[in-house]
Amino acid sequence: MDYDQARWTEGARYEPLLAEKSTCEVDVADGPLPDDLTRDSLELPDLSEPELARHYTRLAQMNYGVESGPIPLGSCTMKYNPSFTEDVAAHPKAAVHPDRPDQSVQGTLELCHRLQDYLARIGGMDAVTLQPPAGAAGEFTGIQIAKAYHEHNGADRSSVVIPDSAHGTNFATAAMAGYHVVELPSDDDGRVDVDALEAAVDEDTAALMLTNPNTLGLFERDIEAIADVVHDAGGLLYYDGANLNALLGRARPGDMGFDVMHYNVHKTFATPHGGGGPGAGPVGVTEELASFLPRPHVRRETGAEGEAGAGTTGFEYYDPAHSIGKVHGFYGNWPVLVKAFAYIARLGDSGLRDTSAKAVLNANYLAEQIPYDVPFGPFHHEFVASAGDQDAADVAKGMLDHGVHPPTTKWPEIVDEALMTEPTESESKRSLDHLAAAFDAVAGEADGTLADAPTRSTARRIDQVGAARDPQLCWQRLDRSDFGN
Amino acid sequence: MSDSGPPTTGSPYVPHSPAETQAMLDAVGVDDVEALFDVPDSVAFDGDLGIDARSEQAVRTEIAALLGHNADLTEFLGRGHYGHYVPSLVEDLSRRSEFLTSYTQYQPEVDQGFLQALFEYQSLLVELTGLDVANCSMYDDATALGEAATLSQRVRSVSGDRILVPEHLRDGKRAVLENYVDGPGCSVASYPMDDGCVDVEALAAAMAEDVAMVYAETPTARGVVEERAGAVGDLADEHDALFCLGTDPVAMALLERPADVGADVVVGDAATLGTGTAYGFGLGLFATREEYLRQVPGRLVGASEDAAGQRAYTLTLQTREQHIRKERATSNICTNQAWVALRAAMHAAWLGPDGLVDLAEDCVTRPRDLAARLDEVVGLQAPVHDRHHFREFVAHVDQPARVVVEDLAREGYGVHAVGDHRIQVCATAQPPQREAGFVETIAEVA
Amino acid sequence: MSFDVPADCRYRESHEWVRTTDGIARVGITDFAQDELGDVVFVELPAVGDELATGDDFGIVESIKAVSDIYAPVGGTVTAVNERLRDEPELVNEDPFGEGWLLELDLADGAELEDLLSPADYRDQIE
Repeated sequence: MDYDQARWTEGARYEPLLAEKSTCEVDVADGPLPDDLTRDSLELPDLSEPELARHYTRLAQMNYGVESGPIPLGSCTMKYNPSFTEDVAAHPKAAVHPDRPDQSVQGTLELCHRLQDYLARIGGMDAVTLQPPAGAAGEFTGIQIAKAYHEHNGADRSSVVIPDSAHGTNFATAAMAGYHVVELPSDDDGRVDVDALEAAVDEDTAALMLTNPNTLGLFERDIEAIADVVHDAGGLLYYDGANLNALLGRARPGDMGFDVMHYNVHKTFATPHGGGGPGAGPVGVTEELASFLPRPHVRRETGAEGEAGAGTTGFEYYDPAHSIGKVHGFYGNWPVLVKAFAYIARLGDSGLRDTSAKAVLNANYLAEQIPYDVPFGPFHHEFVASAGDQDAADVAKGMLDHGVHPPTTKWPEIVDEALMTEPTESESKRSLDHLAAAFDAVAGEADGTLADAPTRSTARRIDQVGAARDPQLCWQRLDRSDFGN
Repeated sequence: MSDSGPPTTGSPYVPHSPAETQAMLDAVGVDDVEALFDVPDSVAFDGDLGIDARSEQAVRTEIAALLGHNADLTEFLGRGHYGHYVPSLVEDLSRRSEFLTSYTQYQPEVDQGFLQALFEYQSLLVELTGLDVANCSMYDDATALGEAATLSQRVRSVSGDRILVPEHLRDGKRAVLENYVDGPGCSVASYPMDDGCVDVEALAAAMAEDVAMVYAETPTARGVVEERAGAVGDLADEHDALFCLGTDPVAMALLERPADVGADVVVGDAATLGTGTAYGFGLGLFATREEYLRQVPGRLVGASEDAAGQRAYTLTLQTREQHIRKERATSNICTNQAWVALRAAMHAAWLGPDGLVDLAEDCVTRPRDLAARLDEVVGLQAPVHDRHHFREFVAHVDQPARVVVEDLAREGYGVHAVGDHRIQVCATAQPPQREAGFVETIAEVA
Repeated sequence: MSFDVPADCRYRESHEWVRTTDGIARVGITDFAQDELGDVVFVELPAVGDELATGDDFGIVESIKAVSDIYAPVGGTVTAVNERLRDEPELVNEDPFGEGWLLELDLADGAELEDLLSPADYRDQIE
């Protein structure tokens, strides 16, 4: 399959900036406020609606989404985002103000309550908060819960243990919460070394943060022993939900001994990633930790259970007894949560199980078709291949010329020149064969050719070093004078 | 078929035909996909989750029915969440799948469109704030404030661990701030207000060497235009503390430029543009001075050049971020609100500078006019603060506020109760045509 | 690949070099270190007058995808920092032992130099 991305050019730039097309400086004096409370003037782009429509259409054409082609970025779970969930989230009755009294938003509260329940079932958890607005925010919430729990029990614990293969967010989260990070080296098979873990945990350990399957796609088979080691030391077990897509309906963090977890709804539950967000990062906990959840939390009204008509008048917010407080100014990324609920409801049990089945089949099939070595296994929904003598970043640029998005590159570092690949369940055999052909073509290319790639995308290889040495982060910094009209 | 697809026995979004599945299994060399799962029996789940699959149409019907339980309320609500009218252009073009279904721009050569839109968003905020650097989003205003406080702990010229905030700070915002500064071990203390604006003398008395950051807002949580932001900036400067100003893009189009009142960091919610009312869904804006560039949390887009010599955009200075710097990153933020930022940028472009200033001026005149009309109602005095207001104002009610709010809700109107005898009314949350009915109704219940 | 290891420097295992002239010690990172890092985009250095003990991390060198701490090979007072690196961080790549130097120290204890690696020992470490 051949592919050339749209490329609108004018002079020495692609689609010009709005500010290069037309700006206008408005005098802000003579308004309804005294001059000393206002700015003097405001200069911004000034274009008509038809011109803007064309601008943003061209920008869209110069962008690659999962509806353009596959995005097999490892640990990112870029699956198809069903269109109908957008319409559901845009329902006019969903557009309510967060400060409304509980009685006037019963529909919203019930939807939240049902989603809490669905997520609790899927994760094997007892209670779920929907407040964290992203996965990393979920991690922060979970670690703050662990911290509050230990403090509540009079324990002074200062460190969080994290395997070296974990996502960078885990390390950053633990540090943000004020913990010292203890990094745990993986064993030769790419998994947690239980002996090393035993040596690493002690009375200072607040939690172990673990991704399962891990970033190599490997299930931590010793999970029960791992849980015992951490629990015996008085620590908690945190589950990073980034890779939950591999296990949907087949294994649940709660059953593995995890005490607290986050869900990435923009990965596992198909809410669109939007070029960087928004996501949502609900957090599930065991009964023992439920009183530490962020406030407020949705529950059925006390006494309303089982009553006829529950669901029209039966939901309320309350503050959990030992709440950690808040992690979002209101209730989180509400429209994203509506989309996640719609997706889960559409799939149901059998759809969720089918999702993990095909996600794992797709990864195994693709790995079988590509010319690169995959050093660790058996893997589930993602695998990490090694580009060997090639530069993984060059491989990625080369793949762009074949109409596909490349995998995550150079990470995790445990594999040399890593190509971390997660095709997701959305890709058909035909699409996977096409991806494999792209890997194949690039594997056969000389380094010199790859260094020139990409040539068929909108932009050619971009100078990253120049961008970092001389940061130009706004149009005010650019020389717009040579704009060729 | 009237329905949009049967309840399935698998995922409707999995494209494999049985023959393809078989061919793939053969290629992998297993009989059954279950053989690919390396999960010990002792932790495998073989029960039912109890979630029934529904057709697309059934899910839509179900959610519409659920949301139908939300009361019809004409909201005069604000206090940190504001829904200005969003033009259809934003709705339509932001939903193009190339934007909506794309990932973070790790391969900038194929994502020039989104990168440019984010670059334009950053530029918009630079123009509005007068500061040098804006990132491409935090989650909301509360988390952006939290990030500003943690930044104050990393900036070497600042020492101290106390964060000062106005007494009128919204609880949700303060609660998030307290969580963010729990790790670095800072404390949050409030300073008093004087008829809705900063009590500068009291703030001066509260300033000390241990203050790392002073936070002020304009407009405040009560909708008051802060008249003393410059004095706060001066005080912060004298005590070598950071001055963080909370505001939003619409307010900045009219009010004093944050840079001109000495702001070191500007935070706030930029979802006042591009999003409308969405149950608190936000867009955290974060801008700061050049000298703190390497301490900025979140993503930054920069302009560079490609191999063809054309200007091109890319994420830059990523060594600040968690995927490289791990526990020493400036923040753990990863997924952010990029698409919401795209929408805010589109909305600002649609308004243009004239439209943006007009909207901001409406935000001053409409609460002024509505307060004047309410002030004529017996049992009601508005506004409580003898100040300029933006979007909203606090009013005194002779009856208990709780009762007034409940009675109004029964009649289909929503306002905030913010004290025993105080309500807060946001004038810009509704089209002007809705005001007459509101004034009439409140005259009956107040 | 053969890396430059000048004979007139002493080395720390963490890839810093030190060269002394008249009691002033000039410090930088080695050819090997700059090659490992790739294109340097930013260098953060201490202020003149700062006191450094042996082994203190006194700054960072950043490339696009990595950040490295720099450690003081010997203790002393900072008497100068290479201001050119502010605008030309690429000097660290182009001339690590020359124009790409990082800072100068007034040595606290000249005997500490003896604890550092000789050029031959450092070459053994990196090859």
